Amino acid sequence: MTQHDPALLSAALAAAEQALNQAVTLAPYSHQELDAVSGTLLGIEITTVDLTVYIEIVTDTEVRLMAHCERDTDTFVRGTLEDFAALATSYDPAATLINSGIELEGSSTSLITLQQVIARMEIDWEAPLVELLGDVVGHQIAEGLRRFLRWGEGARTSLKRQVSEYLQEEGGLTPPKAELEHFYDAVQSVAMRTERAQSQVEKLLAKAAARETPQ
Amino acid sequence: MNDEATSSADRDDDTTDFGFTRVDREAKASMVRGVFDSVASRYDLMNDLMSGGVHRLWKRYTIELSAARSGQTILDIAGGTGDLAARFSRLVGPEGKVILADINAAMLEVGRDRLIDKGATGNIEVVQADAQALPFKNNSVDCITIAFGLRNVTDKALALRSMLRVLRPGGRLLVLEFSKPTSALLGKVYDQYSFQILPAMGRLIAQDADSYRYLAESIRKHPDQETLLGMMEDAGFGECRYHNMTGGIVALHQGFKP
Ligand SMILES: C[S@@+](CC[C@H](N)C(=O)[O-])C[C@H]1O[C@@H](n2cnc3c(N)ncnc32)[C@H](O)[C@@H]1O
Repeated sequence: MTQHDPALLSAALAAAEQALNQAVTLAPYSHQELDAVSGTLLGIEITTVDLTVYIEIVTDTEVRLMAHCERDTDTFVRGTLEDFAALATSYDPAATLINSGIELEGSSTSLITLQQVIARMEIDWEAPLVELLGDVVGHQIAEGLRRFLRWGEGARTSLKRQVSEYLQEEGGLTPPKAELEHFYDAVQSVAMRTERAQSQVEKLLAKAAARETPQ
Repeated sequence: MNDEATSSADRDDDTTDFGFTRVDREAKASMVRGVFDSVASRYDLMNDLMSGGVHRLWKRYTIELSAARSGQTILDIAGGTGDLAARFSRLVGPEGKVILADINAAMLEVGRDRLIDKGATGNIEVVQADAQALPFKNNSVDCITIAFGLRNVTDKALALRSMLRVLRPGGRLLVLEFSKPTSALLGKVYDQYSFQILPAMGRLIAQDADSYRYLAESIRKHPDQETLLGMMEDAGFGECRYHNMTGGIVALHQGFKP
């Protein structure tokens, strides 16, 4: 039997899929990149939460997220949440992929393309989720989201540590200062978005609590 | 034939359930028809309101578990207004085929219009059919889905056998249906909701509290997870299993034709 409530998982995937496809529509540069890998199927196993999601690049403007898929994947990656957070925000995904604990089966092309497309877009992940939270009686999702956000903080710190370790070990590879700045900016922007989502969830929970209190 | 496969409610030869009322078997079919005739035009709106939109997520997962792929033939029985059919249509592509079937002409009409609006028509066939006696060839379909339909069928065992006959060996059946909440507390909240709020909503929006009371009652009369699993096995399906969704309010059962 499935461990995760499929309805909950579908909610998260539907929201993420909507956010992603909206962002893709608004970013014409991404079409060409996605076109080159369209038709590919990626599997991502996140060991921390015992979860596998599938990403199908359907066309140059449509990505499909699935909780269940029985077709053979072109690319399958396995890693922890932290690994994937590092990858998602990485300025140099190929290097991050090699340096991280992520296991890769198949070709890395589609994964790296997708990472580049996503990293360059300002995706509004929260809006569709919050929209859904209003619909679905939200306790379980809110709880899951809060857990996820708490994890986000840890990931940020460890990301920095991992990067500096990497730089120290590979001494010769010190990137230009500007690139480092850019990298930390990117991390910062993820951090800010995470905090925004957290405060939105808190507001929602407060509202729900107020509604439950008898007048 | 295995009589245990029929739900306990169907034991009596001449009567069966209509919600909590026992009625003549013949009468049930026409009363169910009456319910769906009267809700057809507002069915989609009510679906969204009743479930808070969650039925879309249940259906989304059903589509994923179908593993439908290009070129396949999919039968959506009790398909009503064509929610699943529209999604399948894209997945099976121009070489595939989707059969949207329902016993009720009014529901199918709404479905046909909606499919045309969505531009999903080329590979969809609309057929008026009874799940208990499917008018399709043996071994002709890759996958059958029945969403929120089985509880309305008078003889569920007969319907399951009919589906097995139509499936090709290795083909799968997916039954999406209301089931039994896994926690007592959720069960209570859910009872309140479906017996108080649902009929009130039905009155307000569809001017039809009775039909929605029937829906709530028929949900309670429907076999729970394990019973339905047993019925599928008795009908001859293999590798049967189910996934609880939203705390067991809904369950998705899956079985394969050996
Ligand atoms: C609650 S609706 C579900 C519609 C659609 N599958 C959905 O999920 O939105 C139930 C449908 O079952 C149909 N139905 C009832 N008895 C049936 C039978 N014996 N054979 C085929 N369809 C039947 C009704 O006409 C109605 O359209």
